[in-house]
Amino acid sequence: MQERTVAAGAGFAGDRTEPAVALAASGKVHAIGLECLAERTIVPGLRARKADPEAGHDPRLERRLRPLLPVAAANHCRVISNLGAANPRAAGAKIARLAGEIGCSGLRSAAVVGDDVMALADRIKWDDPFEGTLLGAHAYLGVDAIAPAIEGGADVIVTGRVADSALFSAEPLSILTDDGDALAGATTVGHLLECTGQVTGGNFEMPDGDSLSAEDFANLGFPLARVFADGTAELGLLEGAPGRIDRLTCALQLLYEVHDPAAYITPDGVLDLTGVAFEDVGENRVRVSGARFRGKPQKLKVSGFVEQPGFIADIEIGYAGTHALNRGRVAADALHMRLDDIPEDDIRIDLVGVDSTLGAASLAPANRMPEVRLHVSARCPDAELAQIVEDEVYALTLSGPAGGGSVRSERRPSLAVVDGLIDRDLVKTDIVWETAP
Amino acid sequence: MRVGEIAVGRSGDKGDKLDLTLVALDADKYAWLEEKLTTDAAQAAISRVMPGVVTRYPVPGLHALKFVIDGALPGGVYATLHAGLHWQKAAIWVLLDLEID
Repeated sequence: MQERTVAAGAGFAGDRTEPAVALAASGKVHAIGLECLAERTIVPGLRARKADPEAGHDPRLERRLRPLLPVAAANHCRVISNLGAANPRAAGAKIARLAGEIGCSGLRSAAVVGDDVMALADRIKWDDPFEGTLLGAHAYLGVDAIAPAIEGGADVIVTGRVADSALFSAEPLSILTDDGDALAGATTVGHLLECTGQVTGGNFEMPDGDSLSAEDFANLGFPLARVFADGTAELGLLEGAPGRIDRLTCALQLLYEVHDPAAYITPDGVLDLTGVAFEDVGENRVRVSGARFRGKPQKLKVSGFVEQPGFIADIEIGYAGTHALNRGRVAADALHMRLDDIPEDDIRIDLVGVDSTLGAASLAPANRMPEVRLHVSARCPDAELAQIVEDEVYALTLSGPAGGGSVRSERRPSLAVVDGLIDRDLVKTDIVWETAP
Repeated sequence: MRVGEIAVGRSGDKGDKLDLTLVALDADKYAWLEEKLTTDAAQAAISRVMPGVVTRYPVPGLHALKFVIDGALPGGVYATLHAGLHWQKAAIWVLLDLEID
């Protein structure tokens, strides 16, 4: 049976860069996918593109590709990434220039364009009404948008918004048998790969507290998968790469963020994952099978970004030494009294180290905590209120419990991600080719 | 028994939905969890900490239970009033640290 080996070299914009180089250098990988575009990551790109038509791709593009491209080229490993962010065409041109500079003359980049549906904004059906300024709108493209670039022999394919799984399932597309379940299988493999270390032992702990060692986490291997013509696959790590792939790590990643496991919606198909089976076939080698195809959606998901006025002010002040917990609690009460004009739903005050994450579900704190941090976040319609909240926390250093200090604060702009749908027939995609000089 | 003694778990999110997954260590433990950690039991635990309505999805073939909480993260993860960003990555401990008789 024919097979293609695909690997995951990045699972978010800031992911580590060395694992991709190691995977490409192995000589075992036909294509490496780099998933670098979270929902919101595209927003700075939209702003940059407005100021400069050649800007708007991921600013880490060069840092990530400079070490990778020569190794990938030498090993005939295609690179497929959404590093194009808000400007895949400019990213494709930049990649060709970069490749020329670093000795990869003749490298061909292919930019997948068409995910930007801002011009079709009046044809998008938003899930909920929203207020504020729409900064941009991007449809999630599928493998059919990427396939022409593979057929054309691209060495590097750069996209804007595509389904994360498509960055990995596009390469084996050409060998899949012509049935939906094979495509469902390859898409499932893409979903298993798209968060890199999350399927190889990262973000994972056994009930007894056992997890990988610090050294393993520091050098964690990223996954690769042999995908077969029927859409089944074998997931694994490079030999000697630290990590853990087994039934449990795979099951957690399979079901990660899919909502209804019987109807996981991707642009390439609605997947039924309830029959997926994982079989341990060796150390850190898992066979995956059983994904089912439930039809191709006629609409594509659209992500929109809406700028709203105001800020979230997020401030902390620390207390240490004997009675630290008590002083933190008194400070929190005092701050509540000072800020009682702010509507209850727009402010949160808690203690980092005690209950700032899980709130009422937090475990009971120890009697003698060496230190705690008081945290306050408030939704502020303007900069003036944000300043007042920040000042009220600082004022605790003089007029609050003893020894308050180590203050820090940040303001985040108010930005909402809104979801919508658009008819897939309206979304026209194209490929823009460049060749490295 | 604490749920986290017999299952591993992970939190995810999309928009204002929180997406929690538990995977039991074996078939017997899954059967116990599937019987005990009902939608109502999960809803009671979740409601102590956040808004939203729990939907439960059992996946017996993988010994897994999924809980999707619609409206748990009002305005999405960037609109949070928790300290920093992405507190929801730890939200699975609301279920893992749940004690069930």
